[in-house]
Amino acid sequence: MNTARRGIRTEPLIFHTLNYLFMAFIVVVTLYPFLNTLAVSFNSGLDTTRGGIYLWPRIWTLKNYDAVFVTGHVFHAFGVSVARTVVGTVAGVLLTAMVAYTISRKEFMFRKPITLIFVLTMYFSAGLIPSYFLIKDLNLLNTFLVYILFPGAGAGLISAFNMLVVRTYIHSLPESLIESAKIDGAGDFRVFVSVVLPLCTPVLATIALFVAVGQWNTWFDTFIFASSRQNLSTLQYELIKLLSSATNSNSNPNISSSQAKDAASMITPLSIRAAITMVASIPILFVYPFLQRHFVAGLQLGSVKE
Amino acid sequence: MGVHARKAAFGLLMLILAISIVASGCSKSGGNEASGEPSASSSSPAASSGGSSDAAKPEPFEISVFMQDPGPIPTDDNRIYKKIKDELGVTLKEEYLVGDAEQKLGVMIAGGDYPDMITANTKLVAAKAVIPLEDLIEQYAPNLKKHYEKVWNQMKDPGDGHIYWLPNYGVYQGEYKTTQYYGPAFFIQKAVLKEFGYPKVRTLDEYFKLIEDYKAKYPEIDGQPTIGFSSLAFDWRDWPLRNAPQHLAGHPNDGGVLVDPNTNVATLYEATDVAKPYYKKLNEENAKGVVDKEAFAQNFDQYLAKIASGRVLGTFDQRWNFQQGEDSLISQGKPERAYVALPLVYDPNTTDYYMDRPVLNLNNGFGITVNAKDPVKIIQFLDTIIQEKWQKLLSWGEEGVDYSVGPNGLYVRTPEQRKQQEDVTWKQANKADALYRFLPKLEGKYPDGNMEGPGNQPDEFFANLKDIDREVLSAYGFKTWTDFFSPPPENRISYPAWSIDLVEGSPAKVANQKLKDLAFKYLPKAILSKPDGFDKVWDEYVQQVGKVDTKAYLDRVNEILKWRQDNWSN
Amino acid sequence: MQSSVQTKDVSPQPVRRTDSFWIRMVRQRQLILMSFPMVIYVLIFAYVPIWGWLMAFQQYRPGFSILNQKWVGWYQFRFLFEDENFVRVLRNTVAMSLISLVLSFVTAIGLAILLNEIKKTGIKRLIQTISYMPHFLSWVIVTGLVSTALSTEDGIVNVVLMKLHLINEPILWLGEGKYFWGIVGASNVWKEVGWNTIIYLAAIASVDPSLYEAAEIDGAGRYRKIRNVTLPGIKPVIVILLILNIGWMLNGGGFEIQYFLGNGQVVDWSETIDIFVLKYGLKIGNYSLGVAAGIFKTAVSIVLLYAANTIAKRLGEERLI
Repeated sequence: MNTARRGIRTEPLIFHTLNYLFMAFIVVVTLYPFLNTLAVSFNSGLDTTRGGIYLWPRIWTLKNYDAVFVTGHVFHAFGVSVARTVVGTVAGVLLTAMVAYTISRKEFMFRKPITLIFVLTMYFSAGLIPSYFLIKDLNLLNTFLVYILFPGAGAGLISAFNMLVVRTYIHSLPESLIESAKIDGAGDFRVFVSVVLPLCTPVLATIALFVAVGQWNTWFDTFIFASSRQNLSTLQYELIKLLSSATNSNSNPNISSSQAKDAASMITPLSIRAAITMVASIPILFVYPFLQRHFVAGLQLGSVKE
Repeated sequence: MGVHARKAAFGLLMLILAISIVASGCSKSGGNEASGEPSASSSSPAASSGGSSDAAKPEPFEISVFMQDPGPIPTDDNRIYKKIKDELGVTLKEEYLVGDAEQKLGVMIAGGDYPDMITANTKLVAAKAVIPLEDLIEQYAPNLKKHYEKVWNQMKDPGDGHIYWLPNYGVYQGEYKTTQYYGPAFFIQKAVLKEFGYPKVRTLDEYFKLIEDYKAKYPEIDGQPTIGFSSLAFDWRDWPLRNAPQHLAGHPNDGGVLVDPNTNVATLYEATDVAKPYYKKLNEENAKGVVDKEAFAQNFDQYLAKIASGRVLGTFDQRWNFQQGEDSLISQGKPERAYVALPLVYDPNTTDYYMDRPVLNLNNGFGITVNAKDPVKIIQFLDTIIQEKWQKLLSWGEEGVDYSVGPNGLYVRTPEQRKQQEDVTWKQANKADALYRFLPKLEGKYPDGNMEGPGNQPDEFFANLKDIDREVLSAYGFKTWTDFFSPPPENRISYPAWSIDLVEGSPAKVANQKLKDLAFKYLPKAILSKPDGFDKVWDEYVQQVGKVDTKAYLDRVNEILKWRQDNWSN
Repeated sequence: MQSSVQTKDVSPQPVRRTDSFWIRMVRQRQLILMSFPMVIYVLIFAYVPIWGWLMAFQQYRPGFSILNQKWVGWYQFRFLFEDENFVRVLRNTVAMSLISLVLSFVTAIGLAILLNEIKKTGIKRLIQTISYMPHFLSWVIVTGLVSTALSTEDGIVNVVLMKLHLINEPILWLGEGKYFWGIVGASNVWKEVGWNTIIYLAAIASVDPSLYEAAEIDGAGRYRKIRNVTLPGIKPVIVILLILNIGWMLNGGGFEIQYFLGNGQVVDWSETIDIFVLKYGLKIGNYSLGVAAGIFKTAVSIVLLYAANTIAKRLGEERLI
């Protein structure tokens, strides 16, 4: 009896010790690249060229950040990025969840064709030029709406991937809840809004994160569809502009001798890229901790279910 | 049930929130639409300040420009742009390239959405996006006409004989003389030359002998292993691996071909006996541990880091490519680890031909698009900018601010003025480098004796030399770094072959890409193989190159070489 | 309420048969209204531009209308398939997809389960947040760090292996083809494991706690609970993600990673379809080649999806359609 009890006690102890050790390993391994980039971002560019920067800058400087903020466009662009992320995420999550609900209903007559239509979009791309013509013909060039509507990388009103994730989640909900709401006379829209949506908080938080990160990170739509309108420029686009401007120097390998003399510069691509990465990613990093509390919402609901 | 109700209320709230935000988003974009034009132009350079104070101002004119180049992007209140606007009335509404030029141009051409002025790309000519300029120049641009007079025929498109682009480099006035050399060469650390008493180095064997001896004497530099010879084959930076043989054989930089100066016919040198001795030599040196084993697997940053660590004794490259690494060495106070460029040849009797005379930078510079409403005004603007006053503003800056005039009429800069030129953020507000890079420009010497820019001003050059530099130069009896090279002869009329447009998507272009792929795959393999295995790899390489449609490539090159011979002679 | 009224209306058998479609439409009008606007949206934004696929049969030059182009039939496809490297490129693509797929599934699910065993919420969230941070670094940065770590000059990997006396001299990891796939797989895991975990954590959160309690009453230990409750609870998500990922088998587990880490010495192992198409398509001004490759990839994806979906159906698992 005594030994058995001890066995039960030591087993979790060993497990937890190993688990915490493993987690410590994960933390070190995944934190390192970020901290390294942070250190590089505060280190003198020319000095970084030598290599050997790990967790702490060797020669401190704010020059790399100066270069990011010098044009002053970054602040306005930050606002545009926030706006597109908020609008795109709220609209995207709700619409995705709504369609996911309809195709989760086994009795829905168009369930299969609709699912197929969405699924296929994940596996083909029509190419850039036809998409450009579409946006042009819809008069969406250089408008804010293109950020919400264009289904590019991670953006767009609805993503088939997210929709399937939500549908799978809805399948796991007890059908009885939906049935009883219907018996109470609720139509599908009411069922969706008042029963399904609240129960889906964990998965909605997940796809909200996916959509938000997608919206925040993309710069391609600005590049192709809205680049000639400075007041529509997004943070990522401004930063990518800076980056390529620093990376550039001179891209013609065959350029003759006297023509290449302006190639060298004090801020190196390596260092400005680090500063840019920090400016671009730190704001969005805060979204997840904020959403995380919804991940346990499912647990609480679970106890209500019965 | 209480929980349900609360959740439902929450859901509803979210929905309302969403709808209201979407609605406000829509109205916001609507607002943008309405106020779009004026606000777009108000965000252009210099519009915000000094708008309507002067009465005698020229009529305001806006030119939209697309640069197939990422910058440096000027600030909104950039000093030079402000001057252009104030004095010429011209506002330049610039857009710079960020992502991939092919994608951006692809959609721009597909949609026909061109700005007024655009930097050169052969695709734009093929799509008839740009207008012929020769009549405009004849009628409205006397300065440009004069500037380009000598090279007028070279500017013509081989396809239809029109002039579409205004080349940005290669038109010189006065004597052509540079002090620093930025082109291809074998580089060697100054410390190595110093160690052995500044010997003359002419051939590959002499060069590697020095490196071997130095490495044997100093197996470590600053506590790390010495690297004898490094190189690079990363992404588009292919020349450190591929281009050396043509120079070793005494030919100038014609890209991937050797051109016989008498017959004007191009042949390949890669995978031939012209190239083999070089790679064979590298193979031998590798067996001796002189070649950096990582050279062809490293990325550009790693390469730069090695250069900047001061322990790479030699490399073959173009100087501007590794300039950052060298700058870092200087700033670390190790100028003796910086490099001297040497024009090595296979046979000491061959005259080296690394340094060339300036060539017209074809398919570069600005053109005017079919969308420009007033091409005349644009060409007149360019015609104004080519004048000495504006050229000096773009290259030297403003007198009294960026430089001052010395007693002999030559321009001089204080150390502070020199220093701020290295500050990227300062330059964004005070220089128009990207614009200047693409504009037609006066190069060489101005009539008043000043050079086109500070970099080539002799006094500026000597002021920047370090002690070790003076020592090296005086040991060899030279004044500048270019004295290491034979004075370049007059360019062959059809020179250089590298500026030949191979035509998008053509078999010639495919063949060119295949040759590059094969070089990247086989040359490192050959260099790094055991000495007795070299020939086997080399033979395989030659055999693979034999399968490529090199005829398509050479035919295209030769066709244009012949066209140039016929049309470029004045 | 409504539905019961309607079923009463359509009692006679023959009428119901002919009318049932419309009647079902009416009955399901809310579902239709909820989904059709989005279907129209996706038809416009994703399907309408498919006319661009015509380019695959042309030598497309921008600036001229799609109908005013040189038609080349199957030339672009032949260029792709008849290249002597095509089989090798295809092999690399599939191999790196498979390796990345397996590695990222196993590691993400494993990490999610282990994270879930940490009961202190604060610590758990902290670890989670940290572990997904590399997702926000671009591949340029991550591959730069990978190259540095694998360098023969002081690279951490070689240093550690030397200290442990597992090797006698540094290994040129990025210069030998045989290591390349593994490096790509490991790099993918490094950058994305935390991010991939998120979806499983959400799924685990939805597992009914009463099932754990029931298992505990049955005397189940930690491992049995994981095996009998957690894994079955998240199985539908796993299956769906697996099916979706199988459809992406020709994407090679990324593009930039091979582009930045690859070099001439390992090209036989590193070159994927996307890189081939970049080199011989976009980079040399042949827009059509990329479109042709895209069509090929789509066709393969659909076949694979169909197969995976059928297998899932046979096994009675959650499936796509």
